[in-house]
Amino acid sequence: MSEDAGAVPAPYVLDVSVLTAVARADAGVTSLILDLDARGQPLVLPALAMVAASLDARSEDADDALRGLEQLGSAEVAPLRDADQAARLAAVIARTGLDPWDAHVAAVADAAICPILTLAAAKWREHSADLDEPLHVIEIADPGEAPGDSGSEPDR
Amino acid sequence: MSDRKARLTITVDPRLSAYAEQLVAEGRASSVSAVFNDALSEKARRDRRALDRLREIAAQADPATVSRMMAHIDAQAAALPQR
Repeated sequence: MSEDAGAVPAPYVLDVSVLTAVARADAGVTSLILDLDARGQPLVLPALAMVAASLDARSEDADDALRGLEQLGSAEVAPLRDADQAARLAAVIARTGLDPWDAHVAAVADAAICPILTLAAAKWREHSADLDEPLHVIEIADPGEAPGDSGSEPDR
Repeated sequence: MSDRKARLTITVDPRLSAYAEQLVAEGRASSVSAVFNDALSEKARRDRRALDRLREIAAQADPATVSRMMAHIDAQAAALPQR
Protein backbone atom coordinates (compact mmCIF):
# COMPACT_ATOMS: atom_id res chain seq x y z
CA MET A 1 0.00 0.00 0.00
CA SER A 2 1.23 3.49 -0.77
CA GLU A 3 2.02 5.74 2.13
CA ASP A 4 0.60 8.75 0.35
CA ALA A 5 -1.61 10.83 2.60
CA GLY A 6 -4.55 10.32 0.26
CA ALA A 7 -4.10 6.57 -0.11
CA VAL A 8 -7.27 4.50 0.11
CA PRO A 9 -7.12 2.18 3.13
CA ALA A 10 -7.47 -1.57 2.74
CA PRO A 11 -11.15 -2.52 2.62
CA TYR A 12 -12.71 -4.21 5.62
CA VAL A 13 -14.67 -7.37 4.81
CA LEU A 14 -17.77 -7.49 7.01
CA ASP A 15 -18.50 -10.98 8.29
CA VAL A 16 -21.79 -12.65 9.20
CA SER A 17 -21.60 -11.55 12.84
CA VAL A 18 -21.40 -7.87 11.87
CA LEU A 19 -24.06 -8.09 9.17
CA THR A 20 -26.33 -9.99 11.55
CA ALA A 21 -25.85 -7.30 14.20
CA VAL A 22 -26.91 -4.64 11.69
CA ALA A 23 -29.89 -6.74 10.59
CA ARG A 24 -30.87 -7.09 14.27
CA ALA A 25 -30.74 -3.30 14.65
CA ASP A 26 -27.72 -3.24 16.95
CA ALA A 27 -27.30 0.51 17.39
CA GLY A 28 -23.63 0.49 18.36
CA VAL A 29 -22.46 -1.68 15.49
CA THR A 30 -24.65 0.14 12.97
CA SER A 31 -23.38 3.52 14.14
CA LEU A 32 -19.81 2.27 13.90
CA ILE A 33 -20.32 1.09 10.32
CA LEU A 34 -21.86 4.44 9.34
CA ASP A 35 -18.91 6.25 10.93
CA LEU A 36 -16.44 4.07 9.01
CA ASP A 37 -18.30 4.83 5.80
CA ALA A 38 -18.36 8.56 6.57
CA ARG A 39 -14.60 8.66 6.82
CA GLY A 40 -14.17 6.83 3.52
CA GLN A 41 -13.20 3.41 4.82
CA PRO A 42 -14.01 0.92 2.02
CA LEU A 43 -16.34 -1.83 3.21
CA VAL A 44 -16.96 -5.14 1.44
CA LEU A 45 -20.23 -7.02 1.92
CA PRO A 46 -19.89 -10.66 0.81
CA ALA A 47 -23.18 -11.65 -0.78
CA LEU A 48 -23.43 -15.02 0.96
CA ALA A 49 -22.80 -13.36 4.35
CA MET A 50 -25.74 -11.07 3.59
CA VAL A 51 -27.80 -14.19 2.90
CA ALA A 52 -26.93 -15.53 6.35
CA ALA A 53 -27.82 -12.24 8.05
CA SER A 54 -31.13 -12.06 6.23
CA LEU A 55 -31.90 -15.69 7.08
CA ASP A 56 -31.18 -15.01 10.74
CA ALA A 57 -33.54 -12.06 10.99
CA ARG A 58 -36.30 -12.86 8.46
CA SER A 59 -37.97 -9.46 8.63
CA GLU A 60 -38.55 -6.58 6.25
CA ASP A 61 -36.81 -4.18 8.65
CA ALA A 62 -33.74 -6.39 8.69
CA ASP A 63 -33.64 -6.62 4.91
CA ASP A 64 -34.04 -2.83 4.74
CA ALA A 65 -31.05 -2.43 7.04
CA LEU A 66 -28.97 -4.78 4.88
CA ARG A 67 -30.12 -2.97 1.74
CA GLY A 68 -29.15 0.28 3.46
CA LEU A 69 -25.60 -0.98 3.87
CA GLU A 70 -25.39 -1.44 0.13
CA GLN A 71 -26.33 2.24 -0.35
CA LEU A 72 -23.35 3.48 1.65
CA GLY A 73 -20.85 5.35 -0.49
CA SER A 74 -17.88 3.29 0.66
CA ALA A 75 -19.60 -0.11 0.63
CA GLU A 76 -19.59 -2.65 -2.16
CA VAL A 77 -21.25 -6.05 -2.39
CA ALA A 78 -18.90 -8.89 -3.32
CA PRO A 79 -20.95 -11.30 -5.43
CA LEU A 80 -20.23 -14.89 -6.31
CA ARG A 81 -19.51 -14.01 -9.90
CA ASP A 82 -18.37 -16.94 -11.96
CA ALA A 83 -17.16 -20.54 -12.08
CA ASP A 84 -13.66 -19.61 -10.91
CA GLN A 85 -15.02 -17.91 -7.81
CA ALA A 86 -17.40 -20.81 -7.20
CA ALA A 87 -14.50 -23.27 -7.37
CA ARG A 88 -12.41 -21.08 -5.07
CA LEU A 89 -15.25 -20.90 -2.56
CA ALA A 90 -15.67 -24.69 -2.69
CA ALA A 91 -11.95 -25.08 -2.00
CA VAL A 92 -12.15 -22.82 1.05
CA ILE A 93 -15.16 -24.76 2.36
CA ALA A 94 -13.34 -28.06 1.87
CA ARG A 95 -10.19 -26.85 3.62
CA THR A 96 -11.79 -25.05 6.55
CA GLY A 97 -15.12 -26.77 7.15
CA LEU A 98 -16.72 -23.34 7.37
CA ASP A 99 -20.34 -22.70 6.39
CA PRO A 100 -20.65 -21.37 2.83
CA TRP A 101 -21.36 -17.82 4.08
CA ASP A 102 -18.37 -17.76 6.39
CA ALA A 103 -16.26 -19.35 3.68
CA HIS A 104 -17.32 -16.62 1.25
CA VAL A 105 -16.07 -14.03 3.75
CA ALA A 106 -12.78 -15.92 4.05
CA ALA A 107 -12.46 -16.31 0.28
CA VAL A 108 -13.05 -12.61 -0.34
CA ALA A 109 -10.64 -11.58 2.40
CA ASP A 110 -8.03 -14.07 1.25
CA ALA A 111 -8.24 -13.08 -2.42
CA ALA A 112 -8.12 -9.33 -1.77
CA ILE A 113 -5.76 -9.51 1.25
CA CYS A 114 -8.19 -7.50 3.34
CA PRO A 115 -8.91 -7.73 7.06
CA ILE A 116 -12.17 -9.25 8.25
CA LEU A 117 -14.25 -7.00 10.50
CA THR A 118 -15.98 -9.20 13.04
CA LEU A 119 -17.59 -9.54 16.45
CA ALA A 120 -16.19 -13.05 16.76
CA ALA A 121 -12.43 -12.94 16.21
CA ALA A 122 -11.78 -16.26 17.93
CA LYS A 123 -13.61 -18.16 15.20
CA TRP A 124 -11.46 -16.62 12.48
CA ARG A 125 -8.21 -17.24 14.34
CA GLU A 126 -9.21 -20.89 14.60
CA HIS A 127 -9.61 -21.21 10.84
CA SER A 128 -6.86 -18.87 9.70
CA ALA A 129 -4.21 -21.60 9.70
CA ASP A 130 -6.26 -23.67 7.24
CA LEU A 131 -5.56 -21.23 4.42
CA ASP A 132 -2.36 -20.52 2.49
CA GLU A 133 -2.10 -17.00 3.87
CA PRO A 134 -3.17 -16.02 7.39
CA LEU A 135 -6.42 -14.12 7.65
CA HIS A 136 -6.18 -10.70 9.23
CA VAL A 137 -8.95 -9.96 11.69
CA ILE A 138 -10.19 -6.75 13.28
CA GLU A 139 -12.57 -7.30 16.15
CA ILE A 140 -15.37 -4.93 17.07
CA ALA A 141 -15.32 -4.67 20.83
CA ASP A 142 -15.67 -2.05 23.49
CA PRO A 143 -12.48 -2.18 25.53
CA GLY A 144 -14.29 -0.28 28.27
CA GLU A 145 -16.83 -3.04 28.66
CA ALA A 146 -16.44 -5.80 31.25
CA PRO A 147 -15.55 -9.21 29.74
CA GLY A 148 -18.64 -11.28 28.98
CA ASP A 149 -20.84 -8.20 29.18
CA SER A 150 -21.17 -7.66 25.44
CA GLY A 151 -24.64 -6.87 24.27
CA SER A 152 -23.54 -6.64 20.66
CA GLU A 153 -22.40 -10.07 19.68
CA PRO A 154 -24.99 -12.17 17.89
CA ASP A 155 -25.11 -15.94 18.18
CA ARG A 156 -23.15 -16.58 14.98
CA MET B 1 -31.43 20.05 -11.92
CA SER B 2 -33.90 20.60 -14.77
CA ASP B 3 -37.33 18.99 -14.50
CA ARG B 4 -37.24 18.29 -18.19
CA LYS B 5 -37.21 14.54 -18.77
CA ALA B 6 -34.03 13.00 -20.13
CA ARG B 7 -34.13 10.76 -23.18
CA LEU B 8 -32.41 7.43 -22.51
CA THR B 9 -31.82 4.35 -24.60
CA ILE B 10 -32.10 1.26 -22.42
CA THR B 11 -32.16 -2.49 -22.98
CA VAL B 12 -34.66 -4.55 -20.99
CA ASP B 13 -35.70 -8.17 -20.74
CA PRO B 14 -38.36 -9.11 -23.31
CA ARG B 15 -40.83 -10.18 -20.62
CA LEU B 16 -40.52 -6.80 -18.88
CA SER B 17 -40.94 -4.96 -22.14
CA ALA B 18 -44.04 -7.05 -22.87
CA TYR B 19 -45.40 -6.34 -19.39
CA ALA B 20 -44.90 -2.60 -19.85
CA GLU B 21 -46.72 -2.76 -23.19
CA GLN B 22 -49.52 -4.74 -21.53
CA LEU B 23 -49.94 -2.10 -18.79
CA VAL B 24 -50.27 0.59 -21.44
CA ALA B 25 -52.71 -1.49 -23.52
CA GLU B 26 -54.87 -2.06 -20.44
CA GLY B 27 -54.87 1.63 -19.62
CA ARG B 28 -52.96 1.10 -16.36
CA ALA B 29 -50.08 3.29 -17.51
CA SER B 30 -49.91 6.23 -19.84
CA SER B 31 -46.82 5.06 -21.68
CA VAL B 32 -43.98 2.55 -21.58
CA SER B 33 -41.73 5.39 -20.47
CA ALA B 34 -44.06 6.08 -17.55
CA VAL B 35 -43.89 2.43 -16.50
CA PHE B 36 -40.10 2.50 -16.30
CA ASN B 37 -40.10 5.94 -14.70
CA ASP B 38 -42.45 4.70 -11.98
CA ALA B 39 -40.40 1.54 -11.44
CA LEU B 40 -37.20 3.51 -10.99
CA SER B 41 -38.93 5.97 -8.68
CA GLU B 42 -40.02 3.03 -6.53
CA LYS B 43 -36.47 1.66 -6.39
CA ALA B 44 -35.16 5.10 -5.38
CA ARG B 45 -37.80 5.26 -2.63
CA ARG B 46 -36.87 1.83 -1.32
CA ASP B 47 -33.17 2.68 -1.35
CA ARG B 48 -33.80 5.91 0.58
CA ARG B 49 -35.97 4.05 3.08
CA ALA B 50 -33.20 1.49 3.59
CA LEU B 51 -30.62 4.16 4.31
CA ASP B 52 -33.05 5.99 6.60
CA ARG B 53 -33.56 2.74 8.49
CA LEU B 54 -29.81 2.45 9.12
CA ARG B 55 -29.61 6.04 10.32
CA GLU B 56 -32.55 5.55 12.68
CA ILE B 57 -30.85 2.54 14.25
CA ALA B 58 -27.50 4.32 14.54
CA ALA B 59 -29.08 7.36 16.20
CA GLN B 60 -29.85 5.20 19.25
CA ALA B 61 -26.19 4.35 19.87
CA ASP B 62 -24.16 5.68 22.77
CA PRO B 63 -21.53 7.95 21.12
CA ALA B 64 -18.94 7.26 23.81
CA THR B 65 -19.21 3.51 23.27
CA VAL B 66 -18.95 3.88 19.51
CA SER B 67 -15.94 6.15 19.91
CA ARG B 68 -14.16 3.56 22.06
CA MET B 69 -14.98 0.79 19.59
CA MET B 70 -13.64 2.91 16.72
CA ALA B 71 -10.40 3.59 18.60
CA HIS B 72 -10.06 -0.15 19.23
CA ILE B 73 -10.52 -0.86 15.53
CA ASP B 74 -7.97 1.78 14.56
CA ALA B 75 -5.42 0.34 16.97
CA GLN B 76 -5.86 -3.14 15.48
CA ALA B 77 -5.69 -1.80 11.91
CA ALA B 78 -2.48 0.07 12.66
CA ALA B 79 -0.90 -3.17 13.88
CA LEU B 80 -1.69 -5.09 10.68
CA PRO B 81 1.07 -5.73 8.15
CA GLN B 82 0.97 -3.30 5.22
CA ARG B 83 -0.52 -4.74 2.03
